[in-house]
Amino acid sequence: MRRATPERLAFSALLVACFAWLVAYPLYSHNQYWQNVLFFAFLFAVMASGWNIISGYAGYVSLGQSAFVGLGGYTTGIIATRAHISPWWTIPIAAAVAALVAALLGVVVMRTRGHSFVIITIAFLLILQLVALNWASLTGGSTGTTLPLTSYPREWQNTPFYYVMLGLVLLSVLMTWAIRRTKFGTGLIAIREDEDKAGAVGINTPVYKVLGFAASAVLVGAAGGVYAYYLTFIDPTGMFNILYSVFTVLAVLLGGRATVWGPILGGFLIELLREQTNVHFGASSLNLVIFGALMAAVVLFLPRGILPTAAAWFVGRRTRGVPGVAEGALDLRPGLALAARPEERPAESSILLAADGLVKRFGGLRAVDELSFYVREGTITGLIGPNGSGKTTAFNLIDGMMRADAGEVRFEGRRIDRLPPWERAHLGLGRTFQITRLFRQMTVLENVVAPLRSFSLAQLAAGAVAGHEVERAQELLDFVGMSRFAHAAAGTLSFGQQKLVELAQVLMLDPKVILLDEPAGGINPTLIERLVEKIRELNAMGRTFVIVEHNMPLVAELCDPVVVLARGKRIAAGSAHEIQRDPLVLDAYLGEGWTVDEAVTA
Amino acid sequence: MILALEEVVCGYGGGDVLQGLDLVVERGSITCIVGPNGAGKSTVLRAVSGILRPRLGRIQLEDTDITHARPHEVLSLGIVQVPQSNGIFPQMTVRENVLMGGYPLRRDRELLKRRYAEVSELFPIVRERGPERAGNLSGGQRRMIEFARSLMVNPKLVLLDEPSLGLDPKSLKAVFDNVALMNEAGKTILLVEQNVRIGLGAATHAVVMESGRVRLYGTSREILDHPEIAELYLGGHVARDAAPA
Repeated sequence: MRRATPERLAFSALLVACFAWLVAYPLYSHNQYWQNVLFFAFLFAVMASGWNIISGYAGYVSLGQSAFVGLGGYTTGIIATRAHISPWWTIPIAAAVAALVAALLGVVVMRTRGHSFVIITIAFLLILQLVALNWASLTGGSTGTTLPLTSYPREWQNTPFYYVMLGLVLLSVLMTWAIRRTKFGTGLIAIREDEDKAGAVGINTPVYKVLGFAASAVLVGAAGGVYAYYLTFIDPTGMFNILYSVFTVLAVLLGGRATVWGPILGGFLIELLREQTNVHFGASSLNLVIFGALMAAVVLFLPRGILPTAAAWFVGRRTRGVPGVAEGALDLRPGLALAARPEERPAESSILLAADGLVKRFGGLRAVDELSFYVREGTITGLIGPNGSGKTTAFNLIDGMMRADAGEVRFEGRRIDRLPPWERAHLGLGRTFQITRLFRQMTVLENVVAPLRSFSLAQLAAGAVAGHEVERAQELLDFVGMSRFAHAAAGTLSFGQQKLVELAQVLMLDPKVILLDEPAGGINPTLIERLVEKIRELNAMGRTFVIVEHNMPLVAELCDPVVVLARGKRIAAGSAHEIQRDPLVLDAYLGEGWTVDEAVTA
Repeated sequence: MILALEEVVCGYGGGDVLQGLDLVVERGSITCIVGPNGAGKSTVLRAVSGILRPRLGRIQLEDTDITHARPHEVLSLGIVQVPQSNGIFPQMTVRENVLMGGYPLRRDRELLKRRYAEVSELFPIVRERGPERAGNLSGGQRRMIEFARSLMVNPKLVLLDEPSLGLDPKSLKAVFDNVALMNEAGKTILLVEQNVRIGLGAATHAVVMESGRVRLYGTSREILDHPEIAELYLGGHVARDAAPA
């Protein structure tokens, strides 16, 4: 997908060289000091790589990462002191235990976001430490546990641990790389960018988060097991060390969040710095001051981390003087045909979507106040009303972004007001936003393929951008005239362009009913005409639309019936022709003496 | 002439969006920039207000070179920008939001009070909803607050990025009435507008942009009467209808 630029090739060559050197190092040098430094660098790299999945990709910042080192270490320690089985068994068990506990923790903290999530992860770490300290019969308490020595020849010293840990680094990189390329990875990033929107496009966010948590812990648990063998002695303060959590965070921020190699680079740099400060200032706590200063410096001067900053610099240099995403000339090819799932239109129009007595309060304000309306299948229903009359809130109640204080939403005769947003999306409810909510750091193409029509475990492993999905996404991008920008980051597009991409995104769900929130706002008039054409075309193929729009000529041309809201209530409904003669509507919305003709010539 | 851009090249780090743009804004005019999505219209406003720094070229306000001025310097010279969306502080009250626009005047409390009174006269919503949290307002109401806020510094040049966005017909009329009022009070206005009908209807001058350059400049009448431009960029019939019979 990405072109092999000279910088990228040089970077790959450098990585291969580094890896070869790391493999060869213990073979030609018996310097145990440097082997040990590198061992710790590997440990931090594995921890940082894991943390990157839940915190870099999914955006959930955890300070409990070292808990999984402790869990892995104690799992191996407890098994190894009681049963004589090989580390080749105990370490995978440690990995499994860490992943399982992480998944359970994920279920528990599911409802928290932001600061409370961070606090809970710290609490989790401290609770595990307390358990290890007090359950002396199992863990040896504060005196710790001594592990049996492994059975390989003594003259190998710590070299086997070196290679096993290096293997874990490699596995971490492969896992991160693979996750980024699957639906699982784009789902996690969607959660980071905008969790509510991710739900609205059909991503089952709780399952994604729990699995993300497990993935972030599994290799760290294994590393904890290796670490325990390496130390041969484990105790609660050493194994559940919050300082290591902080180092992990710092490593990822330094190297570059949500990249494959950033956490690895950060892990190495942090270990080198830790070693240097220990050697020179180890006796005092001055080394911690240095780490604090480094953290502040990274946040201030390298907010994106080393690798993304370097990449942006190279891109900036390469694209200097090259036209950017500005693309003015309108593509005036006749409208492209759009294939959709064939579906026979029901002979008789029936009610597809119904709102019944909806109430939503914000403090003292009743934004939606006993609102009832229904949408017949196959119609293009307009929803108009003054600013603040509750149109967008009504959309939020219908698609599940908000929960109503009272009332019902029914879709195909079935109550959906208790369903989470992604299940409503799977039933066939799609929606766009007034202010666009694209996943800004994903490419345009990734945004369009992000919506999911269902949920299955197999889907998680499916390629993020692959197969016939890509063809359909390209088709949709052609339809909105945005295919030239398929590989640009969505956040770099202009507002109008983002609206067009969001339209393509919702069409990807191939919904039965599409809620459009001001589709024409910020769109060039020529494109509005094409938009009208396409809405008609999709409608003829059986799609039902509900459109919030202030562009009255568009509403008059397209919508029948039109529902008018004011102060959260329905004040009128009927054809565009009928409602524009209604004195209530004229007073509340259109203003005195308004006609469609006047809107055109104003 | 109040503002001039010469050969401006600028972008966001992934190539150039403005590709050698020349543009002049006449003093006392309402100049409206139109063009397809992604032509670089909003980028022009960002370059003028100092949010983006041009890589090449020159931007001049009256006799001052503002090419490399920082946003607060541009503001103190009398240029204020109303952004496209999400410009309010949702946790603050409406009153606090509007007063925030007078931040540069904070040492002169009398002036601040007087301006606030003037602004709430112009935008009654400021007085009516003053103590409420701005986050409770709808999209259109938020824009009214943003306009009110921008007038607190009594600017020479007001940059409006799609003022019609998200406004209902009544508010739209009120907002554009106010644009005309501000203009009559001596303020030059540079706006970007996709609602060509209303944008060109209110403007004295118009700029058609394409691919980061100016394709055509003239009075709004000339632009509306230009057959090819109308067909290509303004959505044929809309522009024809906009020309009074």
